[in-house]
Amino acid sequence: MHTRFSILLLTAILCLTNASRVTAQPEPAFIKANADFAAGHFPEAIKGYESLVKEHHWSASLFYNLGNAYFRVGDFGHAILNYERALALQPAQPEAQANLRLVRDQSRALELAQSWPEEHLAFLTANQYAILAAVAFWCAAFTLAGLVFAQRRPVVWIFILVLLCAITAGSVFAISAFESGRADRDQAIVTAQKVQARLATAENAGTVLVLPPGSEIKILSTRGQWSYAALPNDLRGWIPADSAERVRL
Amino acid sequence: MERAMFRRLFLVAFLALAGTQMARAEAPTVTAVLTTSETEEGRPVQLQIKVTGDADAVPPNDIAVDGLEIRYTGQSQLVEGRNFHFSYSFIYSYTILPLKAGTFTIPPQTVRTNGGEMHTPALTLNVAPNDGAATRSRRGRNSSAGGAIDERKLVFAELIVPKTSAYVGEIVPVEIRLGFNTRVRARLAEGPNLTGQGFTTQRMPEPKQSMETIEGVTYQIVTFKTAIAAARSGKFEVGPVEAKALVQVPRSAGSGGSRSPFDLFGMNDPFSDPFFNDPFAGIPEQRQIEIKSQPATLDVKPLPPNAPASFAGAVGIFNLTTEVKPKTAQVGDPFTVTATLSGRGNFDRVTAPGLADDRGWHTYPPSANFKADDDVGLSGTKTFEMVLTPNENKTAVPPLVWSYFDPLTESYVTLKSDKLPVVVEGWAAPAPGAAVASTSATPPPAARPTPATQAEDILYQLTDPPHWVQGFTPLFLRPEFWAAQAVPLLALIGFFGWKSRERRLANREGQKLAAWEQETAELQKRLRRADEPPDQYFAGALRLVQLKTALVRRMEPNSVDAEATASAFQLDDERRERVRELFRRSDEARYSGRQNGHSPVNEQTRGEVLELIENLS
Repeated sequence: MHTRFSILLLTAILCLTNASRVTAQPEPAFIKANADFAAGHFPEAIKGYESLVKEHHWSASLFYNLGNAYFRVGDFGHAILNYERALALQPAQPEAQANLRLVRDQSRALELAQSWPEEHLAFLTANQYAILAAVAFWCAAFTLAGLVFAQRRPVVWIFILVLLCAITAGSVFAISAFESGRADRDQAIVTAQKVQARLATAENAGTVLVLPPGSEIKILSTRGQWSYAALPNDLRGWIPADSAERVRL
Repeated sequence: MERAMFRRLFLVAFLALAGTQMARAEAPTVTAVLTTSETEEGRPVQLQIKVTGDADAVPPNDIAVDGLEIRYTGQSQLVEGRNFHFSYSFIYSYTILPLKAGTFTIPPQTVRTNGGEMHTPALTLNVAPNDGAATRSRRGRNSSAGGAIDERKLVFAELIVPKTSAYVGEIVPVEIRLGFNTRVRARLAEGPNLTGQGFTTQRMPEPKQSMETIEGVTYQIVTFKTAIAAARSGKFEVGPVEAKALVQVPRSAGSGGSRSPFDLFGMNDPFSDPFFNDPFAGIPEQRQIEIKSQPATLDVKPLPPNAPASFAGAVGIFNLTTEVKPKTAQVGDPFTVTATLSGRGNFDRVTAPGLADDRGWHTYPPSANFKADDDVGLSGTKTFEMVLTPNENKTAVPPLVWSYFDPLTESYVTLKSDKLPVVVEGWAAPAPGAAVASTSATPPPAARPTPATQAEDILYQLTDPPHWVQGFTPLFLRPEFWAAQAVPLLALIGFFGWKSRERRLANREGQKLAAWEQETAELQKRLRRADEPPDQYFAGALRLVQLKTALVRRMEPNSVDAEATASAFQLDDERRERVRELFRRSDEARYSGRQNGHSPVNEQTRGEVLELIENLS
C-alpha cells in the first residue's frame, strides 16, 4: 500500500515537472529568436523559430515572426506560408493580413479563387461558426423541450425555435463551405522557386502554369514524388511534391 | 358432263383455227439488228438475225468484216401472237468484237429459207477508240447491254487548294471531294488523308454530301473541308489525297482468262460461253479501291522581317475589343479586363494582348476561350480574361496592344485598344505603424516619418508572450469540443427528467382528488338514506365534512378537525358550533361505548346534518 502510494506520488511529481518544463521552455527560445531578428541575424532567428515549430510550440505570433524573418532573407514562399499559418491559427490577426498582402504583391504569387460562401460568410471564422452552431443547437433543443412540456405554446417561442434551427443550419453550412473551400486542410503554398505545374508526372511534360513562390494551391493527391494540385485560374496540374508545403501542420 | 363436252369442242375449234392460221402463214421474212450501233474498241455488241415463218432457215455461218471479229453464239425461238395470229421466229445471235476503231458496215447476209434466199439489210457500227481495251476481256459479255460500268468512273478524288502561294502560318482553306458513281454501291473505308510535309492540317469536320453529274455520270460527292498552315517557307506539294473505298461492282466475266481451254482454236465451243468462265457473274463483288487525287503545289513565303514586339505569329485579319469590370476597386483589388480578338486566321497562334504600360499594375496569367464561327476554325472569336490589380492610384487601365500579319496587305498590323477608365479607391500612404519593420523588441513610434521606400516594408515583430495552441485542427474536429457538448446534453436530460417527474406527480395528486370527490358523492347519497344507525351515520357525516374540507385545503382528510373546516369555509359562529357538535357527536358515537341503538337517525337530525354539510362550500 505504501509502495503504491509512493509510485503514484512520484508519477504525479514527474508529470508536473514535465508540464512546467514544456510550458516554460518556449518563452526564452521565442525571446531569443526575436532578439536575433532585432539584431539583424535573420538566419539565426529563422532557426530559433523553426525549432519551436518542430517542437509543436505553435502560436500565431510565432508563425508571423517567422514569416517576417523569411521575408527578410528574401524567401517569399516560406514567408507567405508562415503568414498563412498565423492566419489559420488567428484569422483576424491584422499584422499577418497586412504583411501577407504585401509579400504577395511583391512576389506576384497567385491565389486560389474564393467560393461564394467563403466570400460572403467570412465575417466569422470556422471556429466561431462552430461555437455559434453549438450554442444555437442547444438553445433550440431546450426551447423544444420547453415547448413539449408547456401547456400553452406561444407563437413567439415557435418562431424562436425556427430561428435557432436556421442559425444552426447556416452555421453548419458555413463550416462545411470553409472546410471544402480555399483554406481547407489541403491548402498549400508553393515554397520552391521556378515551379511549373505540368500535365503529367514528368519533367518534360507540358506546362500548365508557372507558379511563383508563395502561390496558393490545393493538393488533391500525391503520387510518388509528384502532387496533383488545384491551381489558380481553375487549372489543375502536377507539381513536385517537395515544392509546396501544407498550411495546416 | 355437258360442260366437259363443251370444253373439248372449244379446244378442237381453237386448234383448228390455229392450224388454219399457221397454214395460211405469210412468206418468211428476215431482219437483222445490232444491240447498239455505237461502241468502242474492245467492247462487244450483238448482232441478231431474226427469221420469221421458216423453222428450217439456214443463217450465215461466217460473217467477215475487216476490223470486227464476228462469231455465231447460238439461236433462240420466239412465238408471237396477235389477234389469234401466231408466228414463229428464230433469232440467230452473233457477237461482234471490234478490234479497232472506225466505222464498219456489216454487209447484207444471205439466209436460205424454204422460200429461197433472203438477205439482211446492211448495218453500220461506229467503233470509238479505247485505250484500256487491251486490258479487257476479248470474249467476255457485258454486264448489261449498253450499260457497262467503266471502273475508272466508279470513284474519284479531288483536292482543291484555292491559293498557290501563302505566308508562313497563314491558314489556307482546302477542300477534298470524293465522288462515288451512283450506279454502284460504295462506301468510304479509310481516309481521306492529306499527305505532305511542311504544313499542319486543321481538324476535318463531318463531310457534306451532294449529287453531281459529271460527263454524263451521276456521282455522290462527299466534300471534306479543312485548312492547312505552312510551318516554314518554301515550295510544298500538298497532297495527294488518299482514301480507300469499298465498292460493289457486277462481276466482269472472263477476268481470269481469255477463253475456254476447250476452245483452243476459237471454235464454237459451248464451254466457251462466259457462264462457264464465271458462274457467279451477275452477283456483285466487293472490291476495295484506292482513291488518289492529283497533288497541289503551294508556294510558302516567309514573313517579312521587323515584326512588332507584340507579334506572336498570328496571320490573318483580326479585330480587338476590350472591356473592364468592375469600374471601381480598391488598391490591390482585381480588375478583370476582357479582350476579344475576332476575325479570320490562325487562332492557335493568337495570344493574349499585353498592356502598353504595366507600371503600377500586377498582371496574372490570362484565361483564353475560343469560339469558332465555322466547322474548320478558320474564323471565330478568341476571348481572353486578364486579371490586373493596381498597386497605386490609377484612372484607367492602359491600352492593350497586339499585332498580327495581314497577308492581303502583306504587312504587320498593330491593334491598340482605348484606355479603359477605372476608379481606384482607398489609395493612401500606408499607416506609419505599418511602414517600418521594427528592429527592436518594442513597436516603432507611430509618429516616425515614413520614407517613401519603406512603404513597401513589412510590419514589426510581435514580442508579447505568445498564446500557444495545440494545433491547427478546427474547433469542431477537436475531442474537447464534442466533450463539452456533454454539459448541455446532461442539462437537457436533467430538464427532461425534472419536467417528467413534475408531470407524474401532478397526475398522482389529480387521481387522489378525483378519488376524494367520488367518495364525497357516494357519502352524500348514503346520508340521504334513512336506514343507517347513528354511529354509522355520524361517522359518514364526519368523513364527508373532512373530505369537503380536504378538497378545499388540499390536505389529508383524516387530519381535518372542526376548526380546520370552519376556517376553510369561513363559517359564522352558529355554523361553526354546529360543526363542532357534529364532530363531537361523531366522536361520542365512535368512542363513548354508549349504546346508540340500531334505530335510524330521526328525520329532523338527518335534515339538520345534511343542510349543514351541503352548505359547506
